Amino acid sequence: MKRREFLVHLISELSSFLLQEQPRKMVISLHQEADGIHLAVIDDRARSDVEIKAIERALNASRRPELAGYYGQMAGHDLLGSARLNLVGWQIKHADVLKNPGGGVMLNLWIGGEGFEYPKFSIDPEDEEET
Amino acid sequence: MAIHTRILTQFLAAAIMVFLLFGILADGPSTALEGFLRLQSSPARLLSDFTALQGTGAALLNAGTVGILGWLYVKLNDIKLSGPTVAAIFTMIGFALFGKTLLNCIPIMAGVSLSAFIVKKKPREYLLIGMFGTALGPLVSFVAFEMGLAPALALPVSLAVGLAVGIVLPPLAIAMLHLHQGYNLYNVGLTAGFIGLFAASLPNAGGKNIDSISSWGMAADPWLFLLIPILSLLAIGMAFVCCGRKSWREFLAILKLPGRLPSDFCELSGPGGALLNVGILGLAYSAYVAIVGAPFNGPVIGALMTLMGFGFFGKHPKNVIPVFLGLLAAALIFGKALDESWVILAFIFGTALAPIAGEFGPAIGILAGFLHLVLVERSGTWHGGMNLYNNGFAGGLTATLIVSVIEWYKTSIER
Repeated sequence: MKRREFLVHLISELSSFLLQEQPRKMVISLHQEADGIHLAVIDDRARSDVEIKAIERALNASRRPELAGYYGQMAGHDLLGSARLNLVGWQIKHADVLKNPGGGVMLNLWIGGEGFEYPKFSIDPEDEEET
Repeated sequence: MAIHTRILTQFLAAAIMVFLLFGILADGPSTALEGFLRLQSSPARLLSDFTALQGTGAALLNAGTVGILGWLYVKLNDIKLSGPTVAAIFTMIGFALFGKTLLNCIPIMAGVSLSAFIVKKKPREYLLIGMFGTALGPLVSFVAFEMGLAPALALPVSLAVGLAVGIVLPPLAIAMLHLHQGYNLYNVGLTAGFIGLFAASLPNAGGKNIDSISSWGMAADPWLFLLIPILSLLAIGMAFVCCGRKSWREFLAILKLPGRLPSDFCELSGPGGALLNVGILGLAYSAYVAIVGAPFNGPVIGALMTLMGFGFFGKHPKNVIPVFLGLLAAALIFGKALDESWVILAFIFGTALAPIAGEFGPAIGILAGFLHLVLVERSGTWHGGMNLYNNGFAGGLTATLIVSVIEWYKTSIER
């Protein structure tokens, strides 16, 4: 799958998940480098610690290539019914779920190949200035 | 090895051992082995009950070896056992009692791996398609042994057909998944049925009629009668031995899941609860088969094995009951005998639609079961019995119909 399509599907599934709780605001931020991607999705819907833990667990599901290559294709595509974050979790490197001070959550997703080290992923200072 | 992988490994090894042991004990090792060898070159289209064709021993031995093949395929791809992989191996074992053989499975599995190489993916990404894709094994056997090709030509051509089918399975399986959005657990059944329509039409276009096969064992064999209850009790026993009372809590958590593809109950809840679920489903449906007086033959045991396998991967009592009630309502309204071959198989395999009840509620689940029974009686002839998962095919069409209407309604009305 091309990177563009892959991202569209991930963003779609994540958006579907957040939108099913009907937030008033939602922000999607994407930063791409040659070897990795940082995707952040933020909403303003308050969630309990238990909910946040469940989201984190689904997004950090262990790598399941046998499921990702087949059922993972449903991510962001087949949206009838509850959103399924594990479809996303199987296909990404790592995810952090942070509670926003004003309520809501920030989902940070790092996506990249085998050699991609997400802790070293940093936003280009020039890009930072532009944004 | 993670705890749930270890538990699944022990359970799968025990299940395969039971098949091999019963196979050897049922008719003696030499009879079983001779029958097993003859099965490799037998027609395998629906409905070919291997227990009736070559005896219980041969059929069980075939099932055990096909189970080992499935497990080897998982190991070769360096994938750990989990709910879906065990479901796929159990399905392979079950259908090796009425259609799958080593000879007709291997070319398809190889073809699916080849398909992955073509698109520069790793074969493990299509592992499940390769395993479930052996539903089209009868097509390989048909080309090799039923088309009347010269022996020197028959095997290479059947191998090529198997490889070709394997190559086209992944793109079609993924496309079919989007049709029903994961609400038919036997997605490859819908895919294989779709391919089977073309496969059955080709010989027909060449002027060759495909005769139907109807082999349905009626013998009351204690080895077959005992098989599923023993495996079910083994699953329940292992659940409590490995995970104690936590198993019950995990089982209750499973009952809250819709079961839509892909729901790995071992991961979403826990291995103890999944094993308990498998055991309860196996015992409940064995009781139903006994109550309606249907024989415990190859296809029925195969259906029960598949049901148990999907007890790890989507089915549980709460989401199968509405579908069961729908099937029962249709059978009673249309006057179908509950012990008739295709009816009993529809009752067990029709549970492929369980996620519909799990997600949209019991009323829609009952409707799904009802529609499934109406359709499945006819769908087998469409693909000439080439697709062993005929219920998966009919279930996929039923799920697509229901899902399409619900999606249209929701997207049109809800704001």
